[in-house]
Amino acid sequence: MKHPLLKLEPLIWLLFGQGILLGTILLTPWVLIVGLAIPLGIVPTDALSYERAIMLGSHIVGRLVLLGLIVLPLWKGVHHMRHTFIDFGGAERDALVAPLLYLLATIGSVLALVAVVRL
Amino acid sequence: MSRNAHPHAMAPSKPGRTRTAPPQLPDQFPFGGRYLAYTLFDLTGILYVVLGLLALCAVWSLGSGEADWNAVLERNRNLFSVGFHGIALVGLIFVGIRFFGFFPKAQPPHVGPLKPPPKPVILVGLYALWIGVTVCLSIVLAGGVF
Repeated sequence: MKHPLLKLEPLIWLLFGQGILLGTILLTPWVLIVGLAIPLGIVPTDALSYERAIMLGSHIVGRLVLLGLIVLPLWKGVHHMRHTFIDFGGAERDALVAPLLYLLATIGSVLALVAVVRL
Repeated sequence: MSRNAHPHAMAPSKPGRTRTAPPQLPDQFPFGGRYLAYTLFDLTGILYVVLGLLALCAVWSLGSGEADWNAVLERNRNLFSVGFHGIALVGLIFVGIRFFGFFPKAQPPHVGPLKPPPKPVILVGLYALWIGVTVCLSIVLAGGVF
């Protein structure tokens, strides 16, 4: 019988690939503005005041961007972590580690969906 | 020093008819020669998971109300957070440049009757998309429009 993870491999690779491509593209401005420019005072905090942030985030485009911003990097991250673990000699425990990592990404994805829906 | 890799890591689904030597990890793995970039690329996985979880916390807080959202903005001001986001930005640029570099080479020669555009066109398109989205979203997030 095929291992369940092998059956899911195409989906995992799709999310992993999009995590590198779209995740990188979406995270760059997020890190630049939310992580650096606003904390350093380059951009005024008012730019992302609660009223403005909720207005942007609750728009359908905003919700999709935020969902992609959270979900895709998670899948890119856990897949790369899995392979780093294998490369560093953890292949024998891959049957345990891989499901745990993918479970983390799945839970994060579900929570991300809930988070954007409740905006 | 090379060491034995996991003996079944590259095992075929059916045993071959010829005997093969067990796979060996290359001498330079993990941080020597060309393996440095390979290993660093893999290690950015940790960075992406942390960034994804931080973004999840921020969006969750935004949905929880003004006080929680303001707490996120305040937390981002501490030195550790700014330092982490600085490293994260370097990591994102590293991943982007490395991935966009091998993306055109990884395209199939054709999909049915369709052929992919020439490699330089794909490369320019990827960078244009990355820079374009970064500029547009940065302007929106910084309050330039809307």
